[in-house]
Order: sequence, then C-alpha cells, then structure tokens
Amino acid sequence: MKGRFDRAFRLVTGLTLIIAAQANAPAQDEPPPAKTLAPGKGVELTTARCVLCHDATHITRTKLSRGEWEFNIKNMIERGAPIAPAEIAPILEYLAAYYNREAAPPPPAAATTTAEGDPAAKLLNANACLACHQTDKRVVGPSFREVAAKYGANSSAATTLAAKIKQGGSGVWGPVPMPPNAGLSDADLQQLASWVLRQK
Amino acid sequence: MNKNKYLHNPKDWSRRDFLTRAAAAGAALGTGKALAQDAPKPPSEPAGALANAAVMGEKHTGMTVLSERPLTASVPAELHHFAATPNDRMFVRNNLLTPDIDAAKHRLTVKGSVHKEVSFSLEELRKNFPLVRTQAMLECAGAGRTGFVPRPSGTPWQLTGGMGCPVWNGVRLRDVLRAAGVQNHAAHVAGQGGDFGVIATAAPVIRSIPMDKAMEPHTLVVFGMNDGPLPKVHGYPLRLMVPGWAGSASVKWLHTLNVLDAPFKGTYMDTSYRIPRDAVRPGEKMPPDALVTEAWPVKSMITYPAPNAVFKLGHSVLVEGRAWVGEGAIAKVELSFDEGVTWQAAQINNATDKYAWRIFSVEFKPAKAGFTTALARATDDRGNSQPMVARWNPLGYFWNGVHRVGFVVEA
Repeated sequence: MKGRFDRAFRLVTGLTLIIAAQANAPAQDEPPPAKTLAPGKGVELTTARCVLCHDATHITRTKLSRGEWEFNIKNMIERGAPIAPAEIAPILEYLAAYYNREAAPPPPAAATTTAEGDPAAKLLNANACLACHQTDKRVVGPSFREVAAKYGANSSAATTLAAKIKQGGSGVWGPVPMPPNAGLSDADLQQLASWVLRQK
Repeated sequence: MNKNKYLHNPKDWSRRDFLTRAAAAGAALGTGKALAQDAPKPPSEPAGALANAAVMGEKHTGMTVLSERPLTASVPAELHHFAATPNDRMFVRNNLLTPDIDAAKHRLTVKGSVHKEVSFSLEELRKNFPLVRTQAMLECAGAGRTGFVPRPSGTPWQLTGGMGCPVWNGVRLRDVLRAAGVQNHAAHVAGQGGDFGVIATAAPVIRSIPMDKAMEPHTLVVFGMNDGPLPKVHGYPLRLMVPGWAGSASVKWLHTLNVLDAPFKGTYMDTSYRIPRDAVRPGEKMPPDALVTEAWPVKSMITYPAPNAVFKLGHSVLVEGRAWVGEGAIAKVELSFDEGVTWQAAQINNATDKYAWRIFSVEFKPAKAGFTTALARATDDRGNSQPMVARWNPLGYFWNGVHRVGFVVEA
C-alpha cells in the first residue's frame, strides 16, 4: 500500500518536472477551447455563418493573422459556407479583432457580458446558452430582455422560467425549438431564471 | 488518459448537435436583420448520419476528441504499441458528417476517361477481382500540427496524433480501373465519397491522385480493416486506401471513381492540402506554386515507454517505436538519450508490407537515476532524416519533427 502511494507521489513529482521540461509537447496541456464565440461586434453573423458545418472550437482554438483569416474565409466559401460577398468584411473584422495572433482582443462589449464573477455568467457559458441568446439582440432564440419583459410581471415568473429552461420547448418565440437542460440542478435553474428576469 | 479532457461527455453530444442544428435553422429562418438573406436551409435532422456517440462508443477510452463537428479524434503514441493499429485506436478525421450507408445497395461506379462506364456492388468487387490484404500507413496531412509555432489553423493533432497503420482488406484499384478500360490520355483518378454536411451547399470531398499512384499494386479499394468489415466512421462500406500519402487522398464512403485527363479542380485539391516548396515566414500567404500534399516525409514515434513511466535503476528499458516514410523505405533509426548530442542505432524489425511502419527498439540501461529522455530519428533510403523541428507552412502539414519522450529512473 505504502509502495503504491510512494510511486504515485513520485509519478506526480516526475510529471511536474516533465511538464516543465517537455518543450515538444504543447497540445497535451492546453485548456479546452471555448464552446461559443467571444461576444463582440459581428459575433451573431459569424456564429450563424460559421458555426454550422463545424463547431465553435474551430475558431476559439485558433489565433491567426488577418491575412490567414481572410484565406480561411475564402477556403470555407469554397467548401460551401453560405457567406454572401457583403458578409465577408464583417466576419473578417470580427475574427481579426477577437482571434488575432498579433493583437489582443478588444474589451468585452457591455451589452452581451455579465459582471465579473457573476455565477450566472458561468452557467450561461457552461451550458452554451449564448450560442442562441443574447441580452439585447435576437439571435436564434429571443433576447434575454424580451424574455424578461414577457415573464417579468408574473409573480411566479422565476419558477415558470426555471421550468422552461429545464424542459426546453418551441412555439413560444418561433418554430426553432430550445433543447432541454435536464442536467441542471434546481439551484442553477433558479440562478439562471432570476438572472434572465433582471435583464429588463 | 482523461476521456473528458475536451468535450467528451457522450450525453452532451446530442445536445451539441441539437444546438448546432438550431443555430443553423435560426440562420435559415432569417432571425435578426443581418441574417435575413436567403441562406440555404439545413435539414432539421441529419438523416442518414451516424451520431458521434455511436462512433466514439467503439473507440478506446484514451482517444481524445479534438472536434465534435466535424468529428476528429486520436490516441497518443503510447497507445500505438501494437504491430498493427487496432480499430479502436484508429484516428477519426471527418470533413463532414459520418454517413450511415446501406452496404447492400451501395455501388462503385467508374466513369470519365474510360472505354466503358462500369459499376460494381460489394459482392461483385469481391468476386471479380483478386483479394488483397496489406498493412499500410494512413496519416492525415495535418498529423502533428501542434508542433508548429505559431499554430496554423486546422485540427490540432497531437505530435503523434492523426495516424495509424492497420491491416486493410480489399481489391487493387488498378484492377477495378482496368475493368473499365482507362484511356491513354487519362492522367488522374478522383474518388468521391458519400459523406454530406449539415447544409446542402457543403462541397463534396473529392481528391484526385496521379495515374502512377492509382496503378501502384498497394493502392486499394478496401472493404475491410483488420480482417473485419470497415467500421462506419472509417468509410463503410468502401473506401480508397492510398498508402503512405496524405490521408485525404484515401476517400471514405467511396461511390465514384472519375478518371480524368488532368488533376481534379476543387477546394480539396487547389486551396486545402497544399504545401509551399520552400520555407515561408509564418503568416505569409500560400505561394501560387505550392505543391499538393502527396507522400509523407520520413517520420517516427516512440511507443514505449509512455511519457512519465517510472523505472528502477539497474534494469534496462527496451525503448521501442515505429518508423515509416510515405514512399521508399526506412534505412535507419537512431535514438538519443542525451537530447540529441549523441545517437545510437536502433534494431529494426524485418520489413513486412511495403507501406507498413517498421518496429524499432534499443535496449537502454540508465547510468544514473533521475529524469531521462529518449529521442528517435528515422532516415529513409534516399538519405532524408527527420528534422528536430519540421518546417513551418501555412496549413500546418507534414509535421515530422523528432519525437521525444521523458521518463523517470528511480534509485
């Protein structure tokens, strides 16, 4: 028993050394890429046109020069991406601003972000809510503001909304269904529902 | 190996697929002013496509998923410690969705610059042509891409990810082509697969190969992998196997062979899968005379020990690995245990099939305790050796830098 513990301990110590020493192993120790695109000017269009044939990680794992992004957009149009000529510039501007190897991204846009450390922000990101919803604008689903306006007057609004987030559904805002979020705890559902209702 | 390192919860996949589809449907419906143009409408369900969970359910738990759509996944070097790559460790690299094809109805059509257009069912292919069984390398052009600094776009394959060397069962491509009668002026053969994307405008995956390679006796139309049926994600019921060449040439879910008088013109030939002839500065554009990626340069990996393995001082360690080259043969493999200052020749097993990797080994007796590294460097029969760092190129192809593994020797 002691031997096994010792071995495990030494392995961990060895591992730390190796991570420090392995100049040739960058990929294995990287954090996973974000599942949704960074909020900012052009994110809705870029999501709608690009996060279709491939998931968002193809962008969020990458930092390129402006020229390389331009090449990538051309390449993707050849592969069938439904990008109209007039849409190339705004998509390029977005990608070159937020995923640029040579320049830091601009500060987050106020309308689409939550306060630093807000537990609701974590939930929104972890559950890919922002892939379809934004605070101010209708993307795939309704904006959080619209949802808050619709349910806000009701005294049991938070409970109603929490149930809707859990079950998903369609027909309230349009034909595109919202997937269920059965894996969320009641506390998380309440957290999210109250946050959405505060976006009036 | 941590299966949940990226986005691996299989329960999550259906939801991710759903979100992507919902986003696609939203775009098609024109929600939002900027999106109101007539984008093509995607199918509400990817009917005829296999779910990622079904694909990954058959894979080894040490396989890392690098992207869910399109699905890409691979195992690290130490999980390749086999004579031939087992099905559950073979890398996954889709361009589009994984089609679920009915083998009973599937046919392979040969057309273009041929004397007579012909088409075969799977049964007819088996009956009409000599059956071939060969072990051969299949490696994505971008394998090892994470070695390049700065990182080019594309699947972030681990240094030894994106390749494998299973046994293939099939018939020779040249036999199938000869059945149709290739015309004298034919120059290339393009394979086309039955995979499809979430939107109708997704370009079909078509690559062509020169006639010389098509007629090479190891270039196959395969229906089996490791003596069983081809797994669905690896091209069931039929694929091309263009051994030693960039994997994209080995078109999966093959249904058409188009014999052409010139290389196929299309995105998978002209824009992707290109590599400059000479070094370019990172960030520079692809030169117009860039080459199509064909044969892989010489490469090797250490499959034993696994990174961070612990050994006792006084015992020897049989350091082992695999070496291969796209065309030609492995001439030697050398190992270094002092970060490349000195090198010693490895034993290499006898050659088996022409395009199979070679197994090499060195018995290493550590002289002292502590952290130790092994480096492997292969050289082919034309005198090309692996570089320490592969030459940067805009799309991150053909990483063949020397592989390095660290392990611990205890007193």
